[in-house]
Amino acid sequence: MLFDEIATVVANQKLGPGLYLMTLKAPRCALEVQPGQFVHMMISTNPSHVLRRPFSVYAADARTELIDVLYQVVGGGTFEMTKWQEGTRTAIVAPVGRGWKPPYNARRALLVGGGVGAAPLYMLCDQLLDKGADVDVVLGAATGECLVCLDRYFDLRKPGLRVLHTTDDGSAGAEGFCTDLAEDALALAARTGKRYDYVAACGPEPMMRIAAGLAKLYGIPCEVSLERRMACGIGACLSCVVDTVDGKKRACVDGPVFDIRELPW
Amino acid sequence: MVNMNVNLGGLFMKNPVTTASGTFAAGMEFADFVNVGDLGAVTTKGVSLHGWEGNESPRIAETPSGMLNSIGLQNPGVEHLKDVELPWLAEQGARIIVNVSGHSIEEYREVIYALEDTPADAYEVNVSCPNVDAGGMTMGCDPTMVAKVVGTCRSATLKPLIVKLTPNVTDITEIAKAAVDAGADALSLINTLLGMAIDAHTRRPKLARVVGGLSGPAVKPVALRMVWECYKATSVPILGMGGIANADDAVEFMLAGATAVAVGTANFTNPHASIQVARGIERYCREQGVEDVNELIGGLVC
Ligand SMILES: Cc1cc2nc3c(=O)[nH]c(=O)nc-3n(C[C@H](O)[C@H](O)[C@H](O)COP(=O)(O)OP(=O)(O)OC[C@H]3O[C@@H](n4cnc5c(N)ncnc54)[C@H](O)[C@@H]3O)c2cc1C
Ligand SMILES: Cc1cc2nc3c(=O)[nH]c(=O)nc-3n(C[C@H](O)[C@H](O)[C@H](O)COP(=O)(O)O)c2cc1C
Ligand code: FES
Repeated sequence: MLFDEIATVVANQKLGPGLYLMTLKAPRCALEVQPGQFVHMMISTNPSHVLRRPFSVYAADARTELIDVLYQVVGGGTFEMTKWQEGTRTAIVAPVGRGWKPPYNARRALLVGGGVGAAPLYMLCDQLLDKGADVDVVLGAATGECLVCLDRYFDLRKPGLRVLHTTDDGSAGAEGFCTDLAEDALALAARTGKRYDYVAACGPEPMMRIAAGLAKLYGIPCEVSLERRMACGIGACLSCVVDTVDGKKRACVDGPVFDIRELPW
Repeated sequence: MVNMNVNLGGLFMKNPVTTASGTFAAGMEFADFVNVGDLGAVTTKGVSLHGWEGNESPRIAETPSGMLNSIGLQNPGVEHLKDVELPWLAEQGARIIVNVSGHSIEEYREVIYALEDTPADAYEVNVSCPNVDAGGMTMGCDPTMVAKVVGTCRSATLKPLIVKLTPNVTDITEIAKAAVDAGADALSLINTLLGMAIDAHTRRPKLARVVGGLSGPAVKPVALRMVWECYKATSVPILGMGGIANADDAVEFMLAGATAVAVGTANFTNPHASIQVARGIERYCREQGVEDVNELIGGLVC
């Protein structure tokens, strides 16, 4: 069930170039949100923004009633959000969409996150680890300063977790794209017989297409999280359609996470 | 107690608020937010005979206090509406206005035929969609074509026939009169204003189709003016819409001559908007000592 909840900003802090972490008090969302789902957030301080903005939930804690959103400033709405201070109130429709659905018996997963695409994978990573799976995370960003999720992944400190990273300019981790490391990891796994049984990718679409292509090559189930412009965010307006093998589907409620077998990639 | 009932050309509504076609689907998606049976009516997304694919993405762009859309009437066809959405709406006790589209005069007629034995309470004939190449606005800009479409639909049904007009014309009253003369029971306006948006940095259009329909608070002054003009020029009830986001907006439309109003883009900003507008109109009436909401219609003081 969807609901429209008043959320209150608890913290809104700059983490890197154009990258902010917003923590919101949103008790109901914090309780119910599943990995890969998003909130549809009103730009409450500027009514000329008639559309809400979709943001994946980065982390949620039912006990503290807090959710985290990692956002990148790309336009007017996200710029407006940088001005929000502790106590600013907004409305979020939550918890929206079909989240990650790894095979229930996944033993070894590879998560590939590009840029802010690292955020929607974080709860998935945590959940897989709790289920006892081994999880390899490959994160990529333009520069070391942009790798703002890395520490939080390291801080999970759960057995079975391995975190690798790349930057386009080599300022941190290996130089190159996260898909290069993903390719190496998949090849190594195939050679050593320690195959992955699930790949999840989130980031720019070209990056996800490469990741999906690799998963297909190695015959591993794979999901990706797609971004589309959204108006209603609840499945009514058909703004956000994705071409699938079964015709057009809505990214907001039929996705945002899609199994790549559904996509004509 | 304020009397909130209105009569929109033979369609009895328990309050003057419906949803603008295409912004509310058939209400199912809004069920977590709005009890659709509490609205005056639900107006469903435009439906064609066999369904349409719609346009390429991106299909929307935000503009200051508004948005552009070029959805292109994507819909699964009238049979799906009959099998799935209409029974659900009927079960919720909703009054149903079905928005009808077609690429040809015959298609409008066939859609209406298909809906005659269903719970559809009224038809809103869309001769105003700016996002399709045939039918829609191309018909709605020409009084002779409008008269033909409306005349054909009229002879296909006895249910209330509402004709939805495009604002993309020089004189909307000319089209309004043609529709009324051809048998329209009510007029609905405005559909979206044709517009476009460009990204200066990429030098590309923000919509795949380049142009699209503008809606939201940005269009409200234009919509009010057109409702006022049609109110003066014709004698049929008007369903007013264009940027209505709260009860005051709705009251303004009624004062300009609307009998009922539709909430569209505001459903995206706030999924409770439709029902909040309905409750707000009632509160306005109570506060203003208005006993019957019909007193507001055309009540502009000037
Ligand atoms: C399911 C989903 C989850 C997302 N999660 C995150 C996240 O966790 N962190 C993050 O930084 N961003 C995320 N995004 C992208 C984010 O929604 C956009 O960056 C944001 O809407 C831009 O708003 P703006 O006003 O700053 O940009 P503008 O370009 O001024 O926005 C204009 C319009 O385009 C839309 N828009 C612009 N870029 C995008 C985009 N990439 N995707 C969808 N709509 C867009 C806006 O919502 C708005 O309606 C997500 C998008 C989707 C669909
Ligand atoms: C996403 C979207 C889809 C629409 N689809 C339809 C449609 O299928 N048929 C129709 O007659 N009007 C359609 N409209 C127009 C609205 O019903 C309404 O006339 C217009 O948006 C003005 O009202 P508003 O400013 O309150 O949104 C659509 C509008 C939007 C924003
Ligand atoms: S955003 Fe309206 S259907 Fe997805």
